[in-house]
Amino acid sequence: MDRTFSSDIDRRSYLKLVGAGGAVGMMGTAGCLGGGDGGEGETTTTEGDDTETEDGGNGDMEVTEIVPGTAPGFAPFEFKEGDELVGFDIDLTTAVVENMDGYELGEWKEFEFSSLIPALTSENIDLIAAAMTINDERKQTISFSDPYYEADQSVLVRADGEFAPGSLDDLNGHPVGAQKGTTGESIVQEQVPDATYRAYDNYVLAVRDLENGNVDAVVLDKPVAENFASQNAVEVAFIEETGEQYGLGVRQDSEFIDALNEGLAAVQEDGTYEEIVNKWFGQE
Amino acid sequence: MTLSAPILQASDWAFIAENAEFLVAGLWVTIKLTLASILLGFLLGFPAGAIEVYGRGPVKWAVETTGVVIRGIPIVVILVYIAFVLSVTNDPFWAATLGLGLRGGAYQSQVFRGAFQSVSSGQMEAARAIGLTRLQAIRHVSVPQALRRSVPGFQNEFTIVLKDTSVALVVGLSELLTRGNDLYLQPRGGSAVLEVFLLISAIYFVLTFVTNRSLDLLNDYYAIPGGNDT
Repeated sequence: MDRTFSSDIDRRSYLKLVGAGGAVGMMGTAGCLGGGDGGEGETTTTEGDDTETEDGGNGDMEVTEIVPGTAPGFAPFEFKEGDELVGFDIDLTTAVVENMDGYELGEWKEFEFSSLIPALTSENIDLIAAAMTINDERKQTISFSDPYYEADQSVLVRADGEFAPGSLDDLNGHPVGAQKGTTGESIVQEQVPDATYRAYDNYVLAVRDLENGNVDAVVLDKPVAENFASQNAVEVAFIEETGEQYGLGVRQDSEFIDALNEGLAAVQEDGTYEEIVNKWFGQE
Repeated sequence: MTLSAPILQASDWAFIAENAEFLVAGLWVTIKLTLASILLGFLLGFPAGAIEVYGRGPVKWAVETTGVVIRGIPIVVILVYIAFVLSVTNDPFWAATLGLGLRGGAYQSQVFRGAFQSVSSGQMEAARAIGLTRLQAIRHVSVPQALRRSVPGFQNEFTIVLKDTSVALVVGLSELLTRGNDLYLQPRGGSAVLEVFLLISAIYFVLTFVTNRSLDLLNDYYAIPGGNDT
């Protein structure tokens, strides 16, 4: 991969990154940030050229490698199974890039969720596939593909508990957990002002504390909540419809955004998307 | 904390045992990163410490100032800057080595500065009086003593670097602690959180203990006979 080193970092970019760095250490992997994830590092590294030329029998065919990045630990979207990176986003991205003429998927790179945007803008990776919610704040730094998944928020409670909330109002006065920097956190902080909010590095720790009785509810993305409910002594009390949309993140000057959207449309039309959904969510 | 389930379940340990190879690969990364960072830190920190004590003029000023700046910046920011702003390398291992090595160099320079300063100025004067040049005097009189006296401070630095390797997660390096997190974040591993933390803490403890005892032995072996007591 050809790289050009950039030294034209302006002060604002530097300060943003310093801020990002401070937040980076604090963050676990998150699937959907409501904002302020500290990952908006904006760098001005110059263009990298990932193009390699393969000499085919009939002439030259250019194949551009797309290096994807993700933040494992957000089952069923992306997580590790032994050494292997698996999940909905992994399968979907693989299928989408297979449908992009002139592109091939490189080796996956793994980061903390909050490092993904700096890694993208600095050209360590070319694509983010990490259940990342499309929002205006992120759009100032990166671009997104067309939405590929819509998710609402769920409220998890103990399966054998007496607490059975039916709406966010019912959470007032109770200890409620969420993962730092996520949409779940924004909902608790903004819409349940009288709850005692407890922040966690990741959802596994939040769900453990829910089972242990230290919080009465946990707010998190619906598909991830259902995954927890199927394997732990917790259940979804109710769904809060937020209509968040996940998108694949690319650099704003990305040349393959159109091809990416076409690849996404192709897998949605030919039934591959549905197969992948069924594989990881077992429904829909 | 109230607990509704036993903390240490056999099934969780079995799950960890199944993934032992995955953790060992992370342990190997941790060890390599620690050694590479310590070595780079030594190569930068030892001459820097000597320059702070024996140097003069702009070189001394530059070394001191660089050290103060690097010691003042959080390690996470140094790593993010190296990997994502300067984009020095696309390999997370080398980005982490460079970040931890630079920071280690800034810390080690202070360990060695203290060691050099502990060599009495009378020895330098005596060395010069028998005809050694300033550089020869530093090399043959100060350095051997400073190296020996720096072991306790160096032990501290070793321990800090070993545990700080976990910060390399921000640049995408999958070392021991990251792999431990990856384990319990799997759907099957969710109940093994405490077991994973316990095991990883034990591994870090063993590494620290072995390293410190080894350096103790080194310290005893190379101790200046009676030299530190007078």
